[in-house]
Amino acid sequence: MRNITLTVNGQSVTAQVEPRTHLADFLREHLALTGTHLGCEHGVCGACTVAVNGEIARSCITYAVQCDGAEVTTIEGFDDDALMARLREAFTTKHGLQCGYCTPGMLIAARDLVRRFEQADARLIREEMSGNLCRCTGYMGIVAAVEQVMAERAELAALPPSQATLGPAPGPAAQISGQDRQPSAPARAAEAESRRAVPTADLEEISEEGLITLEQSFVVDHPPAEVWEFFGNLPQVARCMPGAAITKVSGDRLEGEIRVKLGPITAAFAGQGRITRDAAARRATIVGQGRDTRSGSRARGRIVYVVNDDAHGGTRVEVEIGYALAGTLAHFGRGGIVIDLANRLTQAFAENLKTRLAGGDTQTADGSAPAALDAGGLVWSVLWERLKAALRRLVGGR
Amino acid sequence: MKPSSFDYAVPRTLDEAVALLNGDPAAKLIAGGQTLGPMLNLRLVQPTLLIDITRIPELTRIEETGDGIVFGACVTHAAFEDGRVPDPAGGALRRVARGIAYRAVRTRGTIGGSLAHADPAADWLSCLAALGAEVIAYDGHGRRTMPVATLMTGVFETAIREGEILEGVRVPRPSKQARFGYYKICRKTGEFAEAIGAVLFDPERGVHRAVAGATEAPPIVIEDAAAFLQEDGDLDAVKARLGEHGLTDPYSLQLHAVALQRAAMEAWL
Repeated sequence: MRNITLTVNGQSVTAQVEPRTHLADFLREHLALTGTHLGCEHGVCGACTVAVNGEIARSCITYAVQCDGAEVTTIEGFDDDALMARLREAFTTKHGLQCGYCTPGMLIAARDLVRRFEQADARLIREEMSGNLCRCTGYMGIVAAVEQVMAERAELAALPPSQATLGPAPGPAAQISGQDRQPSAPARAAEAESRRAVPTADLEEISEEGLITLEQSFVVDHPPAEVWEFFGNLPQVARCMPGAAITKVSGDRLEGEIRVKLGPITAAFAGQGRITRDAAARRATIVGQGRDTRSGSRARGRIVYVVNDDAHGGTRVEVEIGYALAGTLAHFGRGGIVIDLANRLTQAFAENLKTRLAGGDTQTADGSAPAALDAGGLVWSVLWERLKAALRRLVGGR
Repeated sequence: MKPSSFDYAVPRTLDEAVALLNGDPAAKLIAGGQTLGPMLNLRLVQPTLLIDITRIPELTRIEETGDGIVFGACVTHAAFEDGRVPDPAGGALRRVARGIAYRAVRTRGTIGGSLAHADPAADWLSCLAALGAEVIAYDGHGRRTMPVATLMTGVFETAIREGEILEGVRVPRPSKQARFGYYKICRKTGEFAEAIGAVLFDPERGVHRAVAGATEAPPIVIEDAAAFLQEDGDLDAVKARLGEHGLTDPYSLQLHAVALQRAAMEAWL
């Protein structure tokens, strides 16, 4: 918990908050200012729009601790504001609302637009209001209401400028009430440890339904027999795969973990697999499934590889990968990025394989597995699509 | 839509921030938090510690020199949009900033945060790569610079090392005759672009640079843009060049070629 002191609708407020409490929850739950609405709670819909030091902001992706020393104005704080009174009136007469859920955010965004622009036609109003979603009106009434108030703008008294700082408000000059600039004891270590149990699975029941498949291939300068034999040694093979480690092999069963990293997102999928090798065809199938204990996401997949002669006396390895995700990452698609990342992962694997076949070692100095491939392993590459779907609407180019 | 627990620290100096960063491998820096916030709320990112760098005065500094301007990493998109900071590129930064997401995002989202996050569709990445900007990284001992053009190594991945902070970005001043064109294709105002074209034509300095951004990979930077980009030029020539840089999907190729061609027309006119 941290102490914060901020001004909300002109009144000084001191409170203890968890760092993870976002500003909207703080306003609604701690201060009972329920005019701030929460729609999507991840910065898409604009319903939670408030003003921080006079500039509009989304209170669901602004944390209360970041507002220590700030001046926050919610829809309740605009009760006596002349411009807001005009907007309320115009929203009523022009049918700028039906259910009213988006309205507090709409009004605050509209007021900011009228404040910043001396003139705005319907097109500019639509552009400026595009960060606020309404599912009732079809926007016609909202645009008409803002147009009307824009037309009356000259009649209004001079609008107060924001206290804009060059950085996100409140900025370096603001007072901080939290004395401890250093973090307290790790917030979450114990909690995270308690969730590290590895799931068990019946591998016979891995469904192949709905798997997304990719095909990859690469060539190494060693004869197929040698490559095939190498592939029989699973821990060795795992060492070629960025982020992968096999912890246990018994018969055709294996247990292990693959760590993946996509920018700030990291995960460790732990689970089991089963391998079937057909020596005559030099073809093997690995099925497996695992769970990232932190996000609770589950992955299942199948890898089929065939070791073939290459025209130049080497080996061509053809790989078909099928995978599916569930849990946090349940919604995903497939795009160029998946292929791109699969290519990178395959390249890294092939390079490591060549090194090891040539007698080298891909182990790191401390004997641990090779580091997780930056920009993600296969599994996490789908997250890109998930993120595009979920975040694109909000994070637009920021 | 509630983040998992994290701790929070507000360093007042860069050195404090670096020390905090080095003290916890699962720590994350936060500035405006306009991309990290959603990822935290969705629990896609679960840091143990958030280090809020917005109270560090150096990170909102503006340093003007004869040949360029250094912007601190925490300068918001809105500060560019509102003309509250100088624009070395004759209004180009202001225009690009105005097209980023929505006003309520621009008031908190920062130029350094956008670059460090390295979303391939982010506006600053393509725009600043075209302008030949460099980022400055600080690790507690010294500073190094690297071109924005090669900053991004993969989706969400940059050449910024562990324990380093992207401290600012230096944007060079193009010559007076320089022309800059920028065009992005997106379906809805404020959305991430499906294709970005950015062109800097600065004959006095010998720069004819084209950048194809939002390719779902690091931006494609081509230094001899005059060779294939002309006003009312041939789209096939543009596609051929982009094809050499690995763009193969016909739809994506068309989008990126059109974006580049429109950016070029803007720069030429």
